[in-house]
Amino acid sequence: MNRTMDRWLTLRLPLAVMLVFTMFPFYWTINTAFKMDGDIVKRPVEYIPTAPTIDNFVIAWSNVGFATYFKNSLIVGVSTVALVLVLSILSGYALSRYKFKGKRAFMVMLLCTQFIPRAMLIIPLFLIFKNLGLISSPLSLIITYAAVEIPFTTVLMSGFISNVPKELEEAAMIDGCNRIQSLRHVVFPLLVPGIVATGVFTLIYTWNEFLLALMLTNQQSKFTLPVGLSYMMGEFNVNYGALAAGSVIALVPAVLLFIYAQKHLVSGLGGAVKG
Amino acid sequence: MSAPSNVDIARRMQEYEAPKKKRNKINWVPYLMIAPSVFIVVAFLFYPIGTVFYYSLFNYDLSAPYYNGFVGLENFKEVFTADKMFLPSLLVTLKWVVTQVGLQLVFGMAVALLLNQAFKFRGIFRAAAFIPWAISGVLASVMWSLMYNEHMGVINDLLMRIGLISESKAWLSDVSTAFGSVVIAELWRGIPFFAITLLAALQSIPNEMYEAAKVDGAGRRKTFFYITLPQLKNTIILTVLLRTIWEFNNVDLIFNLTGGGPAESTTTLTMYIASLAVHGSNFGYGSALTVISFCILLIFAVVFLKVTKYEKEEAER
Amino acid sequence: MGKKLFHGMTTSFVLASMLMAGCGNDDTEVQGSGSGEKANPDEPVTITFWDENAGPQRTPIWEELISRFEAENENIDVEYVGLPKDSAKQKLDAAIAADDMPDMGSVQTSWLPEFAAREALLPLDEQYDEWEDKDKINKSAIDFNKEIVMDEKLYGIPYTQNIDILWYRPDWFQEKNVKAPETWDEFFAAAESMTDKANNRYGYTIRGGAGGSFQLQRMMYAYSGIEEYVDDKGKSTINDPKHVEFLEKYFDMYQKFTPKSDITNGYKEMIAGFDTGAVAMVQHNVGSYGEHSEALEPGQFKALALPKSEDGKYVAEGGNTIGISIFKSTEHPEAAWEFTKFLNSAESQSYWNEQVGQIPTNADVLEEEWVKNAEHIKVAFEVYEDPNLVLYKPPFYLPDYRSILDNTVDSGVQNVMSGKITVKEFLDEWAGAIEESQKQYDEHFKK
Repeated sequence: MNRTMDRWLTLRLPLAVMLVFTMFPFYWTINTAFKMDGDIVKRPVEYIPTAPTIDNFVIAWSNVGFATYFKNSLIVGVSTVALVLVLSILSGYALSRYKFKGKRAFMVMLLCTQFIPRAMLIIPLFLIFKNLGLISSPLSLIITYAAVEIPFTTVLMSGFISNVPKELEEAAMIDGCNRIQSLRHVVFPLLVPGIVATGVFTLIYTWNEFLLALMLTNQQSKFTLPVGLSYMMGEFNVNYGALAAGSVIALVPAVLLFIYAQKHLVSGLGGAVKG
Repeated sequence: MSAPSNVDIARRMQEYEAPKKKRNKINWVPYLMIAPSVFIVVAFLFYPIGTVFYYSLFNYDLSAPYYNGFVGLENFKEVFTADKMFLPSLLVTLKWVVTQVGLQLVFGMAVALLLNQAFKFRGIFRAAAFIPWAISGVLASVMWSLMYNEHMGVINDLLMRIGLISESKAWLSDVSTAFGSVVIAELWRGIPFFAITLLAALQSIPNEMYEAAKVDGAGRRKTFFYITLPQLKNTIILTVLLRTIWEFNNVDLIFNLTGGGPAESTTTLTMYIASLAVHGSNFGYGSALTVISFCILLIFAVVFLKVTKYEKEEAER
Repeated sequence: MGKKLFHGMTTSFVLASMLMAGCGNDDTEVQGSGSGEKANPDEPVTITFWDENAGPQRTPIWEELISRFEAENENIDVEYVGLPKDSAKQKLDAAIAADDMPDMGSVQTSWLPEFAAREALLPLDEQYDEWEDKDKINKSAIDFNKEIVMDEKLYGIPYTQNIDILWYRPDWFQEKNVKAPETWDEFFAAAESMTDKANNRYGYTIRGGAGGSFQLQRMMYAYSGIEEYVDDKGKSTINDPKHVEFLEKYFDMYQKFTPKSDITNGYKEMIAGFDTGAVAMVQHNVGSYGEHSEALEPGQFKALALPKSEDGKYVAEGGNTIGISIFKSTEHPEAAWEFTKFLNSAESQSYWNEQVGQIPTNADVLEEEWVKNAEHIKVAFEVYEDPNLVLYKPPFYLPDYRSILDNTVDSGVQNVMSGKITVKEFLDEWAGAIEESQKQYDEHFKK
């Protein structure tokens, strides 16, 4: 009896509260996405659409060209993740396995990059990429996103690498592997959860970033998802249903990714100790 | 498979590393490894940041190029003597960061402890708890503004059904509720980050420590304060530091939900800077404000690390 | 640690400067000259067109017009780029600063003085004078565009006009037996009598959040009948006693006859109030017709001109138009001009304005059936054709005009609504900011 009470108080009740709080906004967005325009603003509020419609999804997907934005987001996202992973594994390894002069300065430098509101960097970045001839190229976004993410992912990665027992690596080297080989065969497999965590972190950022995506692109066919979403929020163009539907479309990949990666996220961030 | 505990590994690593030092030759390998990252960060973040510092000494107004020119410290002088928004927005920032980080830490810890227990379908619950983290500021503000709306919002409807309020409230427009409403929306998105990192850290606490505590007859509270919390110390310090910086600079939710209003009650310093940047006024002046906020954060980071003694332990390792 | 940090930062900065300097040299030749198009007219060219208010409603209209144009002009490709309205100005600012502009675009009239001063636009006087249809475009709108820029050249050809009006609920007014307000007293009275809080109905809604100041000043001048924004001596009429009087009555309605959320209302929230059936009257322009018609039944909304001033004239804000501009850096000014003419032809203007629900500037279109049948456009015409109409000129030429309104005035409105400051203090501050900016401007340009 006491034990069941306890179980309710410390587990089930708080779990339920948590679930309602995190899930309710999703439920509401989905609910809105399936309503006709008139029903969205109707009172009393409809908790389940009385006349569900998929019109909003059709509008969001076809009318505004979501398919293209979706594809662009995917290209930028995946490339950024690849670039960030390679660079942060390298620098994270250096941070965790070597002692070198300037290490502290490097860390401080990474921290300092976080101190500036991004909105202020737009014009200088625009000028840089204009000079490089990369405006409208996905490369401009990939590079910028990588620059923004690397400070954090480097620190993250160095943490993961520190958690891989160094002796494993040494043992491999004694067995005749060189450093690269031991990295590949010994360290890398143990790093998988950490790599997944870092990748997810990066992908989420690129998937959601709006301001840079708009400012560094001058071609309609190169815009990413958040820009596409913003079309639905302008003056004369408010369409709550399509906005919600567009949001749902943009949410789906992030949510799927999370469900897949949640295990790795925890074990990755915790450092490959337990599952 | 039972893996070696972290503590063991750390100890063995230290023993291992100590005698091996050779100091006379520079090892170029680590420099080569960080080189690409340094290059990209310096070229595409430090250079723009440098421009911001540079322009803080100028009048640089895109919409009035004919006024542009070097003004020395004029911009800074104006911030401290004539700007009526600066101090109030700094105070709002303080309030915003303290409530956000404080509440995120408390609730994040609660969620982490909750999800660290063993129960059925734990994976699904974990995924559910973390998902808001994946939602962009723009999307989150769309979702919450739909719910907060005075005329069609579901929050009013629910609270009225329960009988907590008798008439529709304008959550985001009332000076007394606007700040709190934005805080809740941001918490929704911010708690998961703390929860994930804390949960991860919780999992790396060796089970033996808890078992030992159990043998000693320590209760739940004692175990938490004497084992869990000290073990999480470094994670907490780092996460709090990062989160403070992020929340300081985080504007998308405020921007989209209240636009800094009503009557500036939700205008943080960064919100103020962003609205200057968006409305295309004097970039030089905005830069000066940015430099000031940069210094504030730098001082905070240094003091915070000193006070929490994080650096020292890190250095000893 | 400070020292190391300093070292790290200086080194990186020097490195970066070197890097950037190296990259900065190669762009000198790429810049367009703007004048030297001597290519053979049959050679295929691509021009880029930036739309300053893209969205699911308007983007398809542009795409349709573009495909019609491309069918007529096989050698010209038009590349459409849609900008979300809230970020369009920022995007153009960056493009101009970096000298990386589109060939042409839809440009709000209030941006012309600034863009002209930044030497971003191509003067269109010559082409316009040679155009056979030039007399069909509303002359006062063309003249206005010339008057507001410093060198009095023509930088934009307006293809649509707008005007601020009231939208109201004829069904509710009838229910309560109240007639649609024609004077300001009736307006205030109607706001009161249409309020029925027990049924969640409010008489009016105020835009207290982003963009509110632009609508507010149009109400103020319509009420006071003052015809100048800034007089010859650089004194602003913003804090005229008439305006104080008006705003005291206007803001007094807040929470009595308006929803509480008004204080942070942006466009979205304000229109949602009307379209969800929570308020009886809202001030906006004819352009929101499309949204009301989607949310409400035909008998549930109607347009109404803003009341006349006490001395019986309509005073409206000039420059409430959007035009087509060509950017100076274009390499294809001729193709761009072709498209500009096309967009301003009777057929294109008719299509665009009918779809959006605004007022064309091309005289031929004004004769068409849909214009005559659209009630809200008729209302707008009554105002535009009234012999007593006066258009006042906001100081678009002041570089910080927009930021004064966006920052000082928008937050001032909220301070008044929350009772932090009085209307008088608010208007004095607003007038002061305008006068200060005017003074700076005069000092700079009066040599």
